[in-house]
Amino acid sequence: MSPRRAETGGRIDRLRTIRFTFDDAPYTGHAGDTLASALLANGVTLFGRSFKYHRPRGLLAAGVEEPNALVTVLRGEVREPNIAATMVEIYDGLVAVSQNRTPSLAWDIGAINQLGGKILSAGFYYKTFMGPVIGPMKGTRFWMFCEHFIRRAAGLGKAGTASDPSRYERMNAFCDVLVVGSGPAGLMAAKAAADQGARVILADLEAHFGGSANWSGETIDGMPAADWAQRAVKQLEGNDNVRLLPRTTVWGYYDGNTLAALERVTDHKEAPAKGEPRQRYWAIRAGTVVLATGSFERPLVFPGNDRPGVMLAHAAERYANEYGVLPGQRIALFTNNDSAYRSALALKKAGAAIVAIVDVRSDVSNEMRKLTSEAEAELLAGHAVIATEGGKALTGLKVQRFDFMSGALSGDERSIHADCLLMSGGWSPTIHLASQAGAKAEWDPARQAFLPPKPTQRWIGAGAFTGSFSTAEAIAEGRAAGLQAAGGAASPAPLTVVEAAPGDPDPAPIFEIKAKGKSFVDFQHDVTAEDVRLAHREGFVSVEHLKRYTTLGMATDQGKNSNVPGLAIMAEALGKPIPEVGTTRFRPPYTAVSIGSLAAERFGDLKPERLTPMHDWHIANGARMYSAGLWYRPMIYGLAGETVEQAYVREAKATRESAGIVDVSTLGKIAVQGPDAAEFLDRVYTNMFSTLAVGKARYGLMLREDGLAFDDGTTWRLGEQEFLMTTTTANAGKVMQHLEYFLDVIWPELKVSVTSVTDEWAGAAIGGPKARAILAACVTGTAVDNATLPFMGIVHGQIAGVPVMICRLSFSGEMAFEVYSGAGYGTHVWEALIEAGKPFDLVTYGLEALGTMRIEKGHVTGAEIDGRTTARDLHLDWMLSKKKPFIGSAMMDREGLVANDRLQLVGLIALDNRPLNGGGHIVEELDEANPHDSLGHITACCYSPALGKYIALALVKGGKARHGTRAFVSDPLRNRFGPIEIVSNHFYDPDGSRMHG
Amino acid sequence: MADHQLPERLSPLEPEYHPGSHGNFEHGVDVILSETRPGSILQLAAWPSEEKRLIEAIRKVTGLALPDGAGGGVSNGGRAAFGFAPGKFTVVDEAEGLAAAFAGAITPAIGTLTDLSHGRTAIRIAGPKAEWVMAKFFAIDFALPAFPLGAGRSTNHHDIFAQIQRSGADQFDIYVFRSFARSFWKALCHASEEVGYEVQ
Amino acid sequence: MLITCPYCGPRDVIEFTYQGDGNRERPQPASQNLDAWNAYVYDRLNPAGDHNEIWQHSGGCRSHLRVVRNTLTHEIRSTTFARGGHKSADNRAEGRS
Repeated sequence: MSPRRAETGGRIDRLRTIRFTFDDAPYTGHAGDTLASALLANGVTLFGRSFKYHRPRGLLAAGVEEPNALVTVLRGEVREPNIAATMVEIYDGLVAVSQNRTPSLAWDIGAINQLGGKILSAGFYYKTFMGPVIGPMKGTRFWMFCEHFIRRAAGLGKAGTASDPSRYERMNAFCDVLVVGSGPAGLMAAKAAADQGARVILADLEAHFGGSANWSGETIDGMPAADWAQRAVKQLEGNDNVRLLPRTTVWGYYDGNTLAALERVTDHKEAPAKGEPRQRYWAIRAGTVVLATGSFERPLVFPGNDRPGVMLAHAAERYANEYGVLPGQRIALFTNNDSAYRSALALKKAGAAIVAIVDVRSDVSNEMRKLTSEAEAELLAGHAVIATEGGKALTGLKVQRFDFMSGALSGDERSIHADCLLMSGGWSPTIHLASQAGAKAEWDPARQAFLPPKPTQRWIGAGAFTGSFSTAEAIAEGRAAGLQAAGGAASPAPLTVVEAAPGDPDPAPIFEIKAKGKSFVDFQHDVTAEDVRLAHREGFVSVEHLKRYTTLGMATDQGKNSNVPGLAIMAEALGKPIPEVGTTRFRPPYTAVSIGSLAAERFGDLKPERLTPMHDWHIANGARMYSAGLWYRPMIYGLAGETVEQAYVREAKATRESAGIVDVSTLGKIAVQGPDAAEFLDRVYTNMFSTLAVGKARYGLMLREDGLAFDDGTTWRLGEQEFLMTTTTANAGKVMQHLEYFLDVIWPELKVSVTSVTDEWAGAAIGGPKARAILAACVTGTAVDNATLPFMGIVHGQIAGVPVMICRLSFSGEMAFEVYSGAGYGTHVWEALIEAGKPFDLVTYGLEALGTMRIEKGHVTGAEIDGRTTARDLHLDWMLSKKKPFIGSAMMDREGLVANDRLQLVGLIALDNRPLNGGGHIVEELDEANPHDSLGHITACCYSPALGKYIALALVKGGKARHGTRAFVSDPLRNRFGPIEIVSNHFYDPDGSRMHG
Repeated sequence: MADHQLPERLSPLEPEYHPGSHGNFEHGVDVILSETRPGSILQLAAWPSEEKRLIEAIRKVTGLALPDGAGGGVSNGGRAAFGFAPGKFTVVDEAEGLAAAFAGAITPAIGTLTDLSHGRTAIRIAGPKAEWVMAKFFAIDFALPAFPLGAGRSTNHHDIFAQIQRSGADQFDIYVFRSFARSFWKALCHASEEVGYEVQ
Repeated sequence: MLITCPYCGPRDVIEFTYQGDGNRERPQPASQNLDAWNAYVYDRLNPAGDHNEIWQHSGGCRSHLRVVRNTLTHEIRSTTFARGGHKSADNRAEGRS
């Protein structure tokens, strides 16, 4: 039989045995056990090594606040470190390992750090930054020397490197009332709200609803509290308007009553069901939140308070009552308040011997004295524990007479033999979510605790969260909160009767016993009381500085145990009351949140893919695709053995010699419709559109309000009141928003509607000397000759029975046509064009060839319209109408925007016949060792098959004035230096004779 | 014009559309996914103060009487209409040619008509877990009282803009941009695995 | 943060795009008053407290909204359609010079 498992008791399923391993040793436990309770039942006392000093550590708590017993859970190659053993539900095959120990937990070489305790005191990291001088090493060099060892020695579990195959999901939820915490207060609140018909979500981070009712041993409504809780849960389960979320930690409270929660869906299972996520991130929008998050018991700070076997009093009570595990056979308690007496009695009932109750108060009530005798314990009132004994398990403790007014110790030391010491330093309401929600917590001198602030959002507190520590109060407050949250009236019905041990909720204001030895405040980060005082002596007086200097409360447990004792010690050092020292604000997350849950369904898939109607054809026909924003576009259609450059040179050359076709479906397309559409376009574009004839297209340029270039494209007039605007692929969304803004905010009187029709149309651009012949071979219903379809003309016809709209315009510089059809027919039309093009040596070309031909033509794209260039910089000033104002017209002539030395668009030719690189700089004097005085930079580059040279577009100071001059490219990053000639950006066919035909 | 011999439109979902049961379906499928492939999807926009006339035009052409209020809509199987923005409506017909039917009804004085029959892809999710699966994608309240039968909503899932109409107590029609449709469909199937799904 | 769109109801802030300071006053299109244009394009109040802002419900109905938001508390005091409510105080701006 397990050494510490009681014969009876607990809410575990003793008929179900579960097998797992911890540090490779096999163990068994029962269904309902946590890793902590199961190991404790097996007699394990040593759970981890501490952060800095590698001190042996055991269980301090039984819940989410556990700072010591952190483990790594392995699932195959995937490891998840730093999980509290108290929060791991065991399952068959669970593999857990301890952390921060070399080579093993029992024999840890890092424990030598305990001897060098002074060196590792508060601010140690920071001090290594500054010195001391050791031989030739000082300051940062000393830090760098130390860093390697510190990082190895100090720390938590190791993160894994294997990729996580788990699925994560996000859920959006809405409710009238979100109840956080399912203890008696939360259950009552949920039930009261649900009975009012409200939509309720009840979330609890534990596996089983009930909170303290699961282990308090109290009687509620005439039945054991745990049974009462289960009955309440059953009732809630039957309600359609209630969603129960066990294993769900509400970790963030954001503006607008939006809360974030993490549900551990399958962490307690051997394997998820098909499609089942490991964890689910819940984004909850709640009408009202009931915060019934309970409270944390605080440790007392005294020498040796971190030894395995020293535990929080309620935690031991919980292990006994919920899991049937006794943390010790001979148990002593050390307390500053009444709650520990109840714990003592519970453990006595569970079968342990209570050897002593050490109370810092000399004045102990008769009720507590009565509980002491029921527990058959010796009461040491007006005493304190000054030391603990033992190695990896507790063997005893020392007590001394204690004056709680002065803190003085006196009299003889007395040794007490015990294998478990339980401590209770009072209770801190779990106010984290309320603090996140806004206001500052308030110190309550009676409770010696920070109580929740006044709500700044719509939440209502209930139970221990508000400082009402008794179950009777929790039930009353819970019901009232639930009713109020659901908009119901206060209930006159009598409240459920609770039978509980008596007790004064107010502790004595004692946080620390000052005696010789290390007294821990923050167990997880190994911060001692002396560290806090050292920080004070070194001048850290603000609580925020104290926190950062000592790292108190900055570990993964975020100081759930340590914040208040740390503050109390700081306040004492400062000689100020605690409220004047103040507290830090809690920030999300309440507990660690997996990155996977935040990525949710985006896990392994960063962005949605945007595909053109002809996407599958491109893939099937050998296109190498690349992403352009969200879009996927063909880069090249490479032949076997071709390099990218060989492929695009072949494609561009063939297009200029015969014909080429490219998918342009990604161009932004916006339907601009309405009686004022033409007027609107006149205001939006720098040039005129009201004068454009129906059935014609025009190239247009837009500026931003500040006068800089924004976007360009052609706009087609399809009807008197109907235009089809095209934008660059990258700017489609921005242009749409720009238009909508002006229509909604600036010119609401204009009757114009704008609609994104990008996806309505499939677009194919076919260009080259034989393009028209190809169209003539497949288009029916219209002629495509020069008279019917002149440059910038539009015709409607059919290809392969599909209606198409054809506009004659050119980006490649060849005679070219854009053929638009309904997207659902895109592949059909594309294939018909390919077929018609076969006798004419039509090639398909990708973005590389498209870019090459546009560079040869000197057309601008987003690389040149980069948010810094003006129309003049790009030689587009011919498009600036003087007949009308337009967006940007007032600002575009400011002196800085018309200066002669601005960067302006030019062409470059590499004189050394080597490739140029985008981003490379242009300099007058080549100085490879010390590049200086950039004239500008390259925006786009390629090998030009038309010129037989490596060319580029660039933005260069002085622009046109430098045509015909020589300079150098200076690209130290890629080690590319060499001579270039600056020329016009119109490299090829500058008078446009080819496209005009 | 050439309506009589138009080829069949290609679905953007084609290579990823796998009829049959998928995911965790051994205990039954909890959602059914399908592409409804309506012949016509139109967007109608009324000038301010012309909304009533537009709603009347919709009623005349389609027989669908839109209820008052933001996002109000109606669906009768073959045809559906809903508001998705102030003065703006999506009207859907399983048959092609609805734009032509509206051409005379939406005069320049009332507003505009934009044909998006190719540009939007209609995906239907139906079944007892439809709300559950939808909640994975969209941060809107799918509960029946908050999202009544026939009503429309405009929202988005990351970069994917969506119009959603509740076409049944546990049925939603989702209209997404065609270019995003395959990506969204894959994500929808993935998210439905948990509850078991059937593609029809 | 939630913004209550007058058409769509309360929606998460990720559905919205901030479209700038709602106090901006755009001069008449033909205005040559550079000071007024400069004020419109560049000058911002940056108040600590209530701030008039333009937001677009870009992930929803795409309406532009006038939002009064407290920059200290993120509290949203009011949300209305921008259309029709725009200010055109160009004359005042012109009069200043």
